[in-house]
Amino acid sequence: MNSSTGRKPTPRGLFGRIADHRLDYLYILPAIGVMLLVIAYPIYYTFYLSFFRTPPSLAMSDKVFNGIGNYITILTSESFHEVTINTVVWTVWSTFFATALGLGAALVLNRQFAGRGVLRGLLLIPYVISAVAASYIWRWIYHSDFGVLGAILNRLGIIDGKLNLLDNVNLVLPSLIVVNVWKEFPFAMIMILAGLQTVPDQLLKAARVDGAGAFHRFLHVTLPHLKGVMVITVLLLFVANLNHFTIPWIMTGGGPAGASDIWITQIYQIAFGRIRFGLASAYSVILFAVMVVIGYFYVRALTGNDDVRRRG
Amino acid sequence: MAQVEFQNVVKSYGAFEAVKSVSFTVEDGEFVALVGPSGCGKTTTLNLVAGLLDLTSGDIKVSGKTISDLDPKDRDIAMVFQNYALYPNKTVQQNLAFPLKMRKVPKRDIGAKVAEAARLLEITHLLDRYPRELSGGQQQRVALGRALVRDPQVFLMDEPLSNLDAKLRVQMRSELKRFHQDLSATIIYVTHDQLEAMTMADKMAVMSGGVLQQYDAPERIFEEPANTFVAGFVGSPSMNLLPATAVERDGAVYATGDGWELVLAPRNAASARASSGPGIILGARHSSLGLHDTETPGCIQARVFTVEPTGDITFVHVDVGDSTFVISVDPERRIAADQTVWIEFDQNKLHVFDAQTEKRIAPG
Repeated sequence: MNSSTGRKPTPRGLFGRIADHRLDYLYILPAIGVMLLVIAYPIYYTFYLSFFRTPPSLAMSDKVFNGIGNYITILTSESFHEVTINTVVWTVWSTFFATALGLGAALVLNRQFAGRGVLRGLLLIPYVISAVAASYIWRWIYHSDFGVLGAILNRLGIIDGKLNLLDNVNLVLPSLIVVNVWKEFPFAMIMILAGLQTVPDQLLKAARVDGAGAFHRFLHVTLPHLKGVMVITVLLLFVANLNHFTIPWIMTGGGPAGASDIWITQIYQIAFGRIRFGLASAYSVILFAVMVVIGYFYVRALTGNDDVRRRG
Repeated sequence: MAQVEFQNVVKSYGAFEAVKSVSFTVEDGEFVALVGPSGCGKTTTLNLVAGLLDLTSGDIKVSGKTISDLDPKDRDIAMVFQNYALYPNKTVQQNLAFPLKMRKVPKRDIGAKVAEAARLLEITHLLDRYPRELSGGQQQRVALGRALVRDPQVFLMDEPLSNLDAKLRVQMRSELKRFHQDLSATIIYVTHDQLEAMTMADKMAVMSGGVLQQYDAPERIFEEPANTFVAGFVGSPSMNLLPATAVERDGAVYATGDGWELVLAPRNAASARASSGPGIILGARHSSLGLHDTETPGCIQARVFTVEPTGDITFVHVDVGDSTFVISVDPERRIAADQTVWIEFDQNKLHVFDAQTEKRIAPG
């Protein structure tokens, strides 16, 4: 193909090696071009805008350089503190419960019983239905006047009168987390189920002969074997939750009084509600920085135990 | 240590019977090899002892007490697996300690027992390593140590050497044998390799199709195989089997086949007469056969197919009618393919099998 690729590799710098493979880069040029256009440029422009105060008219020629003013505004604002706590609560608890519930469901589905296929299909439903549709359905379920949840709790005598979930500043975030967990636990379930099916049978047998009961077999054989898949599941869920927009936006729009506002809904509001692109950009950059850190750990978890990276 | 008694042991999966009414007794301190081709039911039998599978019917007794309804952990039986089955997230030390920990042995006793087992198997320097950092032979030793540390009544071993390379396998074979001698442990050992069984075991249980074909000392099984299956399975190269028809003529018995005839010596003639029909199968080991380059009376004519020199012995494959014979000759002998040769039988070492039942008929 390329006359230079036949040459014996000599120790050269990065650019030397790129030059050696210049024809190879041609093959991936279209993909790189599209990526630059739809990913790299918006990222760059967000960075760029984050240092400007932008006018509500969106006439970008009128923007004013602001230095790190936007960042200072965000980091010193009272709402940032609150929204960050909400974001952490939302992300951590959603991830935790989705993983725990997914693990439980996977352990059940890993056993042989009649109707296993049907149950697996049923449990997957929340994951496959649209987040928008699910949000609307849950808004009705939670509705303080006509919600089926309130009706059931009233019928059972657990509460008397209205059920206030989405209008209650203390209960709104937990209520949204319930919806989110319901929506995404099947993902954890499928991932962990796949991991469970690769637990070596001989190890479980060895543990049985060694005197380990079901609990110890789980603790000493199954769980260590699942470690890799669990780490990746948790990281993927963490990223998805940190970026999650649909459920809080549709169900509460961040309310009441910002009690269910998280970073992503806040950014959306600043950008498209208050039309302050510069400030929203700075906010996005902060979120981006957090994501990069998590992404680093994700890649490390993915490639940690093989030598793909070392081989280069 | 203990005696293990199999009483009409049956394991079936639906209509399929993996183990068909197997009965034999492993005496205290004996090393018994369960041997047979894949799917013969040997591993199933072992798993039944371990309690990893439930008996369909019959009984297994250890030291006179039935264990059939006990959980694996209550059977006081240790098992070594084919791929070692070491816990990958535990160090060698933790692997060895695991069965003791599960049995709630006091902590200081665990340390002492692990150290003792490690010393015996010469793996003390590996205690802090993880299984993935060990070679196959070292992993094998750790697996053995994990069984040993519990001081169980019975050791079960499921093809423990088959994952090792040929050289290491031979070495571990002698080490395992030594291990058995030193501990006088009761060991039930599953292998598909008849040579492994021959060299290590006090007794061999040869299985095929879920049926116990023969249970005896290796040399007896080699010298007096119960049937054509055992004859063909034990020994390498396997016993030559030649289907024939027994014909009585002028007071002598002739074995005849496609273009050949052999007069049987009195001991074999008596066997042939005891056969349920005229159909018999002659069995002869490669070493009990001789080759002549020229026509010799009392010999069968054959044609050389291939010659396999192995160094100190040369195997000659010859075609007799539809059958192929393997005969061992001196490596100095010059024999070429397609050459016509004459096979001489040592009738004192000839076996006669009933073609109908495939069972060996003891010489008269």
